Amino acid sequence: MELWKLPAWKIAEEVRRGNLSASQVVESHIRRMESLEPSLNAMITPMPEEARRRALAVDEALSKGTDLPLAGVPVAVKDLLCTEGIRTTCGSRVLGEWKSPYTASAVRYLEENGAIVIGKTNMDEFAMGSSTEQSAFGATSNPWDLSRVPGGSSGGSAAAVAAGYAPIALGSDTGGSIRQPAALCGVYGLKPTYGLVSRWGLIAYASSLDQVGPFSRDLVDLALVLEVISAYDPLDSTCVPGSRPRYRDALKAHDLKGQRIGFLKGYQDFDMDDEVKEKLAFALRICQEGGAEMMEVSLPVSTGYGLPCYYIVAPAEASSNLARYDGVQYGLSEEGKSILELYLKTRGKGFGNEVKRRILVGTYVLSSGYYDAYYLVAQKVRRLIADEFARAFSAVDALIMPASPTVAFKKGEKLDDPIQMYMSDLFTLPVNLAGLPAVSMNVGYSKAGLPVGVQVVAPKWGEMEILKVASVLTDAVGSPKVAMGGEG
Amino acid sequence: MPLSFTPVIGLEIHVQLATVSKLFCSCSTDYIGQKPNTNVCPVCLGLPGTLPVLNGRAVEFATKTALALNCRVRNRTRFHRKNYFYPDLPKAYQISQYDLPLAVGGYVELTEADGSKRRIGIQRLHLEEDTGKLVHIASDGRLSGALYSLVDYNRAGIPLMEIVSAPDITSPAQAKEYVARLRQLVRYLGVSDGDMESGSLRVDANISVKVSDGRWGKKSEIKNMNSLRAIERALEYEIERQSSMLARGEEVEQETRHWDDAAGVTRSSRSKEEAHDYRYFPEPDLLPLVLEEGFLEEIAESMPELPWEVFKRFEEVYGIEPEDAALLSERRDVAAYFEACVKAGASPDKAANWIKTELFRVMNECKCSADDFPVRPEALTELLRKVEQGDLSATAAKDVFGLMAGQGLRLDEAIKAAGVSVGKVSGGALKDIIDEVLRENAEVIEDIKSGRDKKGKKVKFLQGLVMRRTKGQADPQEVSELLDESLNN
Amino acid sequence: MAISEADVRRVALLARLEVTDEEARSLAEHFGKILEHFHRLQELELSEVDPFSLEGPGTPWRSDEAKPWGGRDEILSEAPRREGDFFVVPRIVEEE
Repeated sequence: MELWKLPAWKIAEEVRRGNLSASQVVESHIRRMESLEPSLNAMITPMPEEARRRALAVDEALSKGTDLPLAGVPVAVKDLLCTEGIRTTCGSRVLGEWKSPYTASAVRYLEENGAIVIGKTNMDEFAMGSSTEQSAFGATSNPWDLSRVPGGSSGGSAAAVAAGYAPIALGSDTGGSIRQPAALCGVYGLKPTYGLVSRWGLIAYASSLDQVGPFSRDLVDLALVLEVISAYDPLDSTCVPGSRPRYRDALKAHDLKGQRIGFLKGYQDFDMDDEVKEKLAFALRICQEGGAEMMEVSLPVSTGYGLPCYYIVAPAEASSNLARYDGVQYGLSEEGKSILELYLKTRGKGFGNEVKRRILVGTYVLSSGYYDAYYLVAQKVRRLIADEFARAFSAVDALIMPASPTVAFKKGEKLDDPIQMYMSDLFTLPVNLAGLPAVSMNVGYSKAGLPVGVQVVAPKWGEMEILKVASVLTDAVGSPKVAMGGEG
Repeated sequence: MPLSFTPVIGLEIHVQLATVSKLFCSCSTDYIGQKPNTNVCPVCLGLPGTLPVLNGRAVEFATKTALALNCRVRNRTRFHRKNYFYPDLPKAYQISQYDLPLAVGGYVELTEADGSKRRIGIQRLHLEEDTGKLVHIASDGRLSGALYSLVDYNRAGIPLMEIVSAPDITSPAQAKEYVARLRQLVRYLGVSDGDMESGSLRVDANISVKVSDGRWGKKSEIKNMNSLRAIERALEYEIERQSSMLARGEEVEQETRHWDDAAGVTRSSRSKEEAHDYRYFPEPDLLPLVLEEGFLEEIAESMPELPWEVFKRFEEVYGIEPEDAALLSERRDVAAYFEACVKAGASPDKAANWIKTELFRVMNECKCSADDFPVRPEALTELLRKVEQGDLSATAAKDVFGLMAGQGLRLDEAIKAAGVSVGKVSGGALKDIIDEVLRENAEVIEDIKSGRDKKGKKVKFLQGLVMRRTKGQADPQEVSELLDESLNN
Repeated sequence: MAISEADVRRVALLARLEVTDEEARSLAEHFGKILEHFHRLQELELSEVDPFSLEGPGTPWRSDEAKPWGGRDEILSEAPRREGDFFVVPRIVEEE
């Protein structure tokens, strides 16, 4: 049996029953990772030794009767989630070999439930990008076609799950960084409602937009991981207190009777791949056949102005969040005769082009004389976008939208044209601006064999709703396949 | 007509709040004398992935102060980030308040030298976090010519309350008085130790000068004034400097200047390579600062009597002279001590006298508070009663007090230990002393015998001499009897 | 909207980023394009919009308890330059 093909829930069940050991499971995944990693480069820091040690500890704990709902489940973690004792790089040179003396809450919750981190995944530097090409550790390849990108910024996590390094992974989503790579790699990716999952230990890109979320190849796994990572955390003041539902219960739905599902009015006219449009129409048909009442929804501000709004708000926050990388306490530090020189050189050398671009844009839109014209205007538009979604959700229970306007594109194709790259997030970033939950999932493959995804969006705290729709869609299209990752 | 110059002064005061933990993390605020970088954690060091959680006590303290300053406290405000690079600022931004401070629009009432009242407006009061500290030291340990600077983040993240006055202050003396009143207030409220020397209370002044011909000079911001006296001196210097420039027809530049206390001058700071542009924006890691229903009422109910209220009451109820009332109400512990004495039966005048001399002297020596002063008000009252009854002379009482304070003795133990028991010098020994005194004052005796001491003043004078010579250890009754005997012989 | 290389340098200094001449040129070009995009936002009617709502729950309050962090040595060991318990930076010319 190829253990690396199993879903997480199955692994946990077998390990808890004693039919499998955590060590066996981990070994199988490590072998898979090691065989594909030379062609995929999905990991910045693989952790085979740590994972083996952890597996022994999990097996030991189980033998003593400890109940671990995720016993022995390997998990890949985006390299902007802090892991005590293991370097966290954010895909940047600026952090050097920095090791955090704490672990991100979402990761800690998984570990406390018996999951085993097998490595830190590649990403666009500081989560700024949509292709995982803009990493100081080289680009990650799409496991469905090595000449193409896996999407980004959580491309390493998406590729790792698609290729079977681990059944589940964690990523972060600020403007689509979970949903777009999930679509391009043909896996599930869920961006929770802002405030559902703790951001403690998540290295900030844009604090008011960032959320940690799961990837998986199995819908039960997705709900299961969400249950674990969404526990309330007093260390994050924006994390909303209270208990969370048992998300797996949403998956009992096999029809959408009585549900109102919205879709973008005139979506055929948007600038996107025909195959993406076709699969979107296909998904809508499934919902309709599932008994949903289908309704046209118009989101002119979100789709027309979300992009510029996002590219003001997010860089503004980023310019402040990334100001701390100055070579004084940790990480890269260049020599300087004065403190100014030390700052300029360290930051000039430490950050890549896209990060520099966004820091500069963010600094500019907040600076004296430009704040009102840019930052304030963008915040007002953000408010309009949230209001527009709220109005839409008075008429529908969930929305189905493209997760990415294109299938996985060729490496290098958009690297020289930042604005083309930004367009990748056209349909995902308004969801962050409004703080809504959304799940991205595979609904089929292009003629060239590339995955095509859609996203299901719901009002705040509507995770049960999006999982219900995802469940019905999954009944029709089946669970995602494992990518060969260049093998065979 | 000669020109006249009117100073216009506004003060910005930063007060470290006396919470036990920092504003956004659980590190201790007790940093004085600590090893560098001891009271630090990932949050106050701004390590990647860390997040702030607000200390509720800091909000209580700031709110309490705001209410005492007659401010309007807002139920819903928010925090902002103030962005700038400096090695003592770990995140490269300071979490502060900007467009919506916690409180606005209050005032402090000052009493002028002539007794008139004057209100100084408070524009705003807000919460923010303190920075770390830089130490400049050369490799050979010298402070000058340092090769590099050292960074200590123990202070980073300690809660600060910033109080900004209106530009209502018109003299250095007034500025000093305003700071003294605020310092007194924060101490009364127990929200800060208000110590200027150690930097718990830091004052920056904005000062400009208006000329009678209609010109108005630009303002200077004066920093580094570390005592009340320094504030007064720095402002006096600055008024003189700006006025004489304006008198010569020169322009006063807008700049930041540092007070050099030793030299007694303000000096222009090196101009920065760029103008400040703090790029404030709302702190996304915190939700709005919301005061729950009933919070303000709770704070108002817990408000102690304010110093100016105590002052007024001491004047009006106990008939204490304004100067003494000011001394006694300066500190809450002293005021409470005084009142406890009066409640225990001491006369307000006598208690006031004793406190402002003896109690202050010993408190100064031991640096202790009146709250835990070893001589409790009841014991002091008893001591004062003994003096009044003539059981102890004032001199002896001071010795007794010293023993009670210094060695923690009870009143009776101290009297014994001082060897000053009343009546110790009596009978023959006393008679000898009286004879001695009479021999030395033959003229006075003449006066008395010739009936010129109608009011008995001279007899009293002799009694006093005798008491003094016995070091207060004679029974005044016996002195009086024996003296009469001798005089009538 | 045109952005000059001087503008780029001004902002880069504010952000403490060293940029080469070539970077300044390409950034100025990029900047211009981005700002053009941003200007589309002006098409919207925004005068009545309140961008920063104070509604909703307040930020949680922590109780005022001091809990020492045990890991200061780990933190200090990450310092690029260190002297004893201090972080070290090039000499700061103090204002006083």
